Amino acid sequence: MSTACTEPTTDSRPPVTGWRRFTNEGRGHEPFLTPRNRKLWYGFLAICLIAGSWGAWLRLTQGLAMTDLTSQMPWGAWVAFYIFFVGLSAGAFLLSSLVYVFGMYQFERIGRAALLSAVVSMFVALAFIGLDLGRVERGPITLAYFHWTSPLSWEVRFYVIYIALLIAELIIAVRLHKGLVRSAHKAHRWLRILGTIGVPLAIIGVHGGTGTIFAVVKARAMWFGGLFPIIFVVSAMVSGTALLLAVYYWQRRGTGRTPDPALIQGLGKVLVAAVIIDLLLTFYEFIVPLLAFQSHDADIISIQATGPYAWTFWGLQLAVGMVIPTIILLSPLKRKVGWVVAAAMMVVVGIVGVRFNIVVPPLVAPIIDGYPTNYYFPTLGEWLLCLFLIAGGALLYSLISEWQPIHEPEPDTAADTPVADADSPTTTEVTT
Amino acid sequence: MAGYPGVPASPTTDSTHVPRWGMVIDLQKCVGCDSCTVACKVENRTPPGVNYNVVVEQEIGTYPNVRRVNIPRPCMQCDTPPCVTVCPVNATYKGDDGVVVIDSDRCIGCRYCITACPYGARSFDFGESYADEMQGADELQAPEWGIERGTRGGVWSSPVGTVRKCTFCAHRIPRGEEPACCETCIGDARYFGDLNDPDSLVSKLAADPRAFRLKEEVGTNPSVYYLR
Repeated sequence: MSTACTEPTTDSRPPVTGWRRFTNEGRGHEPFLTPRNRKLWYGFLAICLIAGSWGAWLRLTQGLAMTDLTSQMPWGAWVAFYIFFVGLSAGAFLLSSLVYVFGMYQFERIGRAALLSAVVSMFVALAFIGLDLGRVERGPITLAYFHWTSPLSWEVRFYVIYIALLIAELIIAVRLHKGLVRSAHKAHRWLRILGTIGVPLAIIGVHGGTGTIFAVVKARAMWFGGLFPIIFVVSAMVSGTALLLAVYYWQRRGTGRTPDPALIQGLGKVLVAAVIIDLLLTFYEFIVPLLAFQSHDADIISIQATGPYAWTFWGLQLAVGMVIPTIILLSPLKRKVGWVVAAAMMVVVGIVGVRFNIVVPPLVAPIIDGYPTNYYFPTLGEWLLCLFLIAGGALLYSLISEWQPIHEPEPDTAADTPVADADSPTTTEVTT
Repeated sequence: MAGYPGVPASPTTDSTHVPRWGMVIDLQKCVGCDSCTVACKVENRTPPGVNYNVVVEQEIGTYPNVRRVNIPRPCMQCDTPPCVTVCPVNATYKGDDGVVVIDSDRCIGCRYCITACPYGARSFDFGESYADEMQGADELQAPEWGIERGTRGGVWSSPVGTVRKCTFCAHRIPRGEEPACCETCIGDARYFGDLNDPDSLVSKLAADPRAFRLKEEVGTNPSVYYLR
């Protein structure tokens, strides 16, 4: 037995005790959230997780019978959220590559947040598709058996490589920021190398590939075709940029600081460019089969435009997701930070509508004349599991941000000034 | 040789002959009684929501110039099956005898093949049961692919959570029996046999000018022919 001895400490700061040990308070980092906002945020996540756990329980005890899926309507909300989060990840990663590969250092302060969003989004996406499997326990065997004609088989492998690359890049970026690397020059070069490998991997492998899963299905009109993977990549860029913009803004607000208007404006420009390309592709996706009078495509388009989900098509996908944000971002309103953030948040919600309209209407249409038209609307249990996984992703993101300096501004950039009145975001005028 | 154990090589005398099982359905003889669907459910003991065979009732034209056609739809056992190419783990494949099979012990239940089938011929086993309506419904499962699967609900052996499909009654073929749907058909509308044998009845009927296949334009090359 040895007597307890206290090591002499060189740190003059008061010791950090209790749960604060798990946050970056007292480590010299800027806190992720102010104490009051921290309570609100984690309280909100706790409520979501508790409510959502009921969906997880139903999934574990009843299997897929708790969904509204049938053999005629085999994919639903979880597949839609799976492609949504793969898209978020690919988009967030491509945004980070603007910094680390293409040298747009005006976005550097969200580089680490973009990488972390990409990692967490991939985990959420894999959780969605994993729980969507009829035999969850057999999920890992997808890595053991390879089928080269199946895009899904390729995807599983791409996802693994992609996640490993993202984590490596994130670790280097965080260590670079904390000054733990021996040579900042070398670290920058590694970030550029990994990012350069990652760009084609994210575009062709991860999200173009996810689009290919749908595009090769010749049985389903509106999925089948070469435009689909491209639309996936562009809409990934849309949703990733919009998410990062919103996360950056709300995290700054959460720490009681003013977001950098120039950064938000810059992201707004990237966003509006991506949204306009997305609108263009969507236009051609619809106009070509309609003018070719392809009856099967036309059936699906009519379900989408006039069927029970028409509100998601006109309301969510087109109005909220594309047209209104485009108008905001092109009009003088773009000079108001609050409007740009509102546009970004609308885009993120709208892309959820896009993902549902990718998955659901082509499966709802009868595949042979004489089959009934299906109807699908996710059950409460399905929604609750969605809530559970999304809140879980947000919690993971927040905890990592507490632990590591993900959101801390670069040391050389001007420090944000604390804002006196933190309750009027939409009136923040940008001075240019 | 045939794609699974115990299947006889051929109805002909040539021992190197590999059959390609096919079906011909005479729509002039079909009365739309759904006996084939019932026989299939009984033979394969399929749970609720899992149907290997259905009879599609098509209504062509608008009233009063309207006619109805009944199209019995088993699995087409395509020669170039789109469901097989998309399977990420090779759990489904086409046997040498032309029957598209599923390895229930490998299928992960992703349902990609269901979306890829142009005929809607695949079903997902959600684990539902007729136990509330029928005594002993779960006591026995059909020995699909020649493997005894015990009682329904067994965690490892049961096909719950995987995709299921018509097998042309693969467990009956080795016994020299035709699929249950063909045997039960009240109008003798369904014929079963070897398309690789030019003298077989199905080969001759498939060469008939009345013969057509569903969605030929998709390029799946089905082994199920219809006579219009």
